[in-house]
Formats: sequence, structure tokens, C-alpha cells
Amino acid sequence: MKRYLMLFIITLVCFSIPAENVNFHAILKEIDNMTSFEDSDLSCIYTIVSEKPGEDKSVQQVRMFRRDREDKFAALILKPETKKGQGYLQVDENLWFYDPESRKFAHTSSKENFQDSEAKNSDFKSSSLSEDYDIERSSKGKLGRYEVYILNLMANNNEVTYPRQKLWVRKDNHLLLKAENYSLSERLMRTVYYPGYISLGKKFIPSKILIVDELKKGERSQLTIKDPSVSTLPDYVFTKSYIERVNR
Amino acid sequence: MNNVRIAFRNLNRQKKRSFLLGGAIAFGIMIIIILNAFTAGFIVNVRENFSLYLAGHIFLTGMEETESGRVINVIRDDTVLKDTLKRLGIKVKYLVKRSIFTGTLIFEGEYVLQKIDGINLKKEEGLKDRLILKEGSFNALASDPEALIISENVVNQLQAVLGDTILVKLTTATGQQNVGEFELAAISIDPGVMGFSAGYANLEYVNELLNIGQDKCTLLSIFLKDFESIDSEADRFYSALSQKVNMFDRTSDKEGFESLRGVSMQGEWKGMKYQLLTINDLLSRADQLAGIVNIIGLVVLLILLSIVMVGITNTFRMIIYERIREIGTMRALGMQRNGVRGIFLYEALFLSLGGAAMGFIIALIIMVCASIINFGMGPLFFMLKNGHLFFKIIPAQVILHFALVAVLTLTAVFFPARKAARLDPAHALRTHY
Repeated sequence: MKRYLMLFIITLVCFSIPAENVNFHAILKEIDNMTSFEDSDLSCIYTIVSEKPGEDKSVQQVRMFRRDREDKFAALILKPETKKGQGYLQVDENLWFYDPESRKFAHTSSKENFQDSEAKNSDFKSSSLSEDYDIERSSKGKLGRYEVYILNLMANNNEVTYPRQKLWVRKDNHLLLKAENYSLSERLMRTVYYPGYISLGKKFIPSKILIVDELKKGERSQLTIKDPSVSTLPDYVFTKSYIERVNR
Repeated sequence: MNNVRIAFRNLNRQKKRSFLLGGAIAFGIMIIIILNAFTAGFIVNVRENFSLYLAGHIFLTGMEETESGRVINVIRDDTVLKDTLKRLGIKVKYLVKRSIFTGTLIFEGEYVLQKIDGINLKKEEGLKDRLILKEGSFNALASDPEALIISENVVNQLQAVLGDTILVKLTTATGQQNVGEFELAAISIDPGVMGFSAGYANLEYVNELLNIGQDKCTLLSIFLKDFESIDSEADRFYSALSQKVNMFDRTSDKEGFESLRGVSMQGEWKGMKYQLLTINDLLSRADQLAGIVNIIGLVVLLILLSIVMVGITNTFRMIIYERIREIGTMRALGMQRNGVRGIFLYEALFLSLGGAAMGFIIALIIMVCASIINFGMGPLFFMLKNGHLFFKIIPAQVILHFALVAVLTLTAVFFPARKAARLDPAHALRTHY
């Protein structure tokens, strides 16, 4: 019995101590830096294909604008025709949804799902993993053909969307490959895959994101990003009047 | 006095005619009394049913500003609220805490968005009387911390049965994602009206899911002893609270039941801010609906009475011709003009009051018969009192309608009566028709 206990403790210790002296918090910071565009603006087009059991696939196209240094973001729905003209605008802490039918802006939250997809509004914003999470546990592993660090994160405040996350980060370039998002009760809620990235200088943006809802079986959304640009955007893009008139 | 007796005799002489004229008035009065009593009963029933469902007449929600500037819906310390209530001497039947959220119930691939009320069933006896269970029992809620009561409509959508474990996806008070597990303990009959269909779970477990602490809540419900004093007591309570704590403007948020889940983020403040609502605020739409029905009823009554009045005017014109020699005789014997006019006006008054009284009695009989019928617990449940129609007669309204009918009838008869009074006695006596 003692022998088994010793074996268990040794195994536990081996798994909890990383083999290399790696600063995982620095890796989180690097992830944030690589995917945040502090020195430039970012614009791109997202195509979101959502699948739900018993329903036809829904396809949406969204033009996205980001100005991370000012915490601003705007999104305009381009497709389908029925939703064309709808838009999102974030300025500081306020996130609004614009409905051209009622011609009104309504407050929404970054924790809400984006339209009818599995993506959250916050998925389109810059990452702040190093600010919001502490590393609870780390280990090494393999995801497909990539050597990865597996990081178990726990939120250090009670205002982030997911209180716990598990990340699979590539060892070589520290790009995020997979994330599991857990609820406060530690139940797996969704899994997000980042199979590819587009390089924009020193920055990276996922070329594809696959989000699988782990609670509603069979529901998933695939986000494809195209036409990314870091050109400076005019200030008026991040205004309500622009969102109102742009798709009129 | 003689004039009164003569007026009675005249009405009695033409029983059939009096009956038909009185019957027309009776019909109008019957319709308006039934309609008014039904709408008044509807308001009472809806208010009582909702009061029991929501466990109160006066509601307080609290909004707290966190350190990061985020605003969350929670009441952490209710001491000030309770003390103020006590100091004002407001007669409270019971005071309960509830925590409310809207989450997605998920069961084997099926999901439904559902409002869940976290309750302490021991303190909410009234709910047991109103919430009719189709399957299961309230005991389960007391014994199983994760027990859930939802309506049959929701259960059908989820395709679940008693004892099934149902997942619930929600956001905590601070906006974090959370998932809980409920066990389906009972299935209630769906009230299914006015968008009100809540599920019920244990307060402690809901607080755990919302991550707000065990003895906290998102809604404080005050059930008053006197149902009629809601508005006045709420005003007193609001004024007293405003001097001690931050309060939202009472008139700023009229979002119906959504308001119970917190107010929309307008304005800025520091620390806690409370919102006070009453059941009357929440049901103002029902009041408006009843008011509209009452106005329509009154307009119908006026149209109906106008038609009847034209008939009465014409009938009294004919009566004058029939009685022209009699009028001549009375005038020749010394009766003054006022006396002749008085006889006709008394006739009209007795006709209207008799007709109205008849209409009132018929309305009473119809209402009693209708209230015996048991409509069960269908979709009309909220308008009913334990499955029965409930009519509330408001005496002031009845008196008003009686007076209206009397005034209109007297007006209709006034001109023929004046004409009769102005007849020359000699001319009247030699007239033959």
C-alpha cells in the first residue's frame, strides 16, 4: 500500500513540475501580444458557418474593425441579407448592438453569443489572458503533430466570461492551438480550435477558428478570416453614426 | 305624493309597454354591469395570482457597483430595508427573498430558455396554493437541494420526465459562464399567459449558481396584509428609503417583469442602488386593458341608451296624445303645469330605475351562474379564481350607471312632458284622436 502511495506521489510531483524552466505567464503575455494590435488598427472579414442539429447551416459574413489601443471594436453584418445592416460597436466599456429595423442601439455584453453562433462577442476582441488568469497547472503534451504546453488557467477575477480555461500552446512559437472553456462549476462548456494563423508582421490572427459547444451536442461554428489588414482606419469607423449609415 | 301615485298607476295601466321600455334599459344596464364586474374581477384575479406567484406586492431589486465599475444585480444586506419597513409600521404578511435568473435548460440535445426563481418554499406557502402541480410534489423541493419545478410546456419541449437531470447554462451575477445540474422534481400546469412562466428551484442552489453567496438574493418581495394599500404603503416606503439609500426613480423603468431581474444601466452611482416596484406597476398593462374594456362598455351603453331614449321620447309623445283629454281634465280640475310635468317625469324615473334594477338583478343571476362553472387550470387560469370566473361589483360604478340611465331617461321625457304641461286645458278637452 505504501509503495503505491509513494508511486502516486512521485507521479503527481513529476507531472506538476515542468521539465524545463519555462515562464508560463510570459507565454500568456506573448499570446496576448501576438494577437493584440496595439500599434495599428485591424480590419478583416469573418465568415461564420454555424451548424445546429436538425437545422440548415447558417452562413454569416461580418466585417470587423479593431483598434486595440483604445479598446474599440466595430462589426458590420454583411450577410445574410436579412441581417445586413446590423452592427456592433464597442467604445470603452460600452458595447452596443445596432438594429436597422428599429434604428436603435441597444446595450449588449461581450459575454453574449455573437448573433446565432457559438462565438462570443469577446472572441472578436484582443486577448487579455495574462491579465485575467493565473496559471494553476502546466504540463507538456502533444496535439496532433505539435509539441505543446498544456496550461490550466484560473481566473483571478470574477468578471471574465470563463472562470477556468485549459490551453494548448505550441512550444515552438507559442501560438494557441486549442482552448477548453470551463464554467464556474468546472464543467466543459466549449472547445475552441485554432488550426491556422495568418501572419501580419509580428502579429498573428487565426485564419480559422472552430468552436464546438460541449453542452449542446452537435452545435458548432466555424469562423474563417480573410482580407486582414493593419492599415489605419478612420476615426469615424468607431462611431454610432457610421454604423447607422454604412449599410443603409 | 298624488303625482307619484298617478305616475305609478299610469305605468301599471300599460304593463306591456312599460315592460318593453324597461326591458331595453335593463338590457343595457345588464351588459355594462357584467362587463364592469368582469374587468374588475379580472384585475383582482390577475393581481392576486401574480402576487402569489411573485410572493409579494412590493418588490425591491438591488444594483451593486463592483470595484471594477461593473454593475451587478444583488441585494447583499437587507438590514436597512427591513428596519425601514419595521419603523414605518407597514403591515407585512411575509417578506421573502428570491434570486432570479434566465438560463438555458438543456436535456439530451433539446434546450429551452427559461426564467428560474430561486425560492425558499417554507416561507412561500401562498405559492403552493397557486402553483398547480401535474406531477411530482413540493416535498422534493424541500428535500433535494437541486430539485427543479418547471411547467409541462417546458418539460414537453425538453422531452424530459420526472427524475431526469437537466443542465442549466447561465451567467453568474458578475457575468461569468456557469453550468448547473437540476433534477426534475415536479411538473406544474402552465399558466401560459402574459409571458409569465417561471421555473422554481431552491434559493441556496440558485445563489450558488449565480455566485452571490448563500444568504443573498436578487429580489426582496414584500407581501402586505392589506391588498388595497399597496400604492400608499409603497410610496411611504420609497420616501423613507430614499433618505437612507440610493434609489432609482420609480417612474423611470416600466419594463414589466423584466424589471424584477434588475434595471437597465442608466446613469451612474456609487455602491448600492435599489429599485422599488409594486405589483400595480408590473400589471399596469392589465389595468390599461381593463380600462379600455370599461370605456368600450360605457360607449356601447351610451349608444344603446341613446337608441332606447329615442324610443322613450317617441313613446311618451304618443302617450301624451293618448292622454290628452285626461291631461285637460286634470288641468281643468286645478292641477298646475308643474304637476302634469311631474307626473311624466316620475313615470320616466320609475321606468328607468325599475329597468335598471331589473337589469342589475338579471346581471347578478348571470354572474352567479357563470361563476359556478369550473374552467379548470387552462390558459385562462390567471384570470380566474381557483378555476372560476370572479365578478367584482363596484357599488360606485353601479350607482353611476343607475344615475346615468335616470338622467338620460328624464332628459328624453322632459320635452314631451313640458309639451304636455303647456297644453291649454280647454283645447285638450275638446281634442279627439
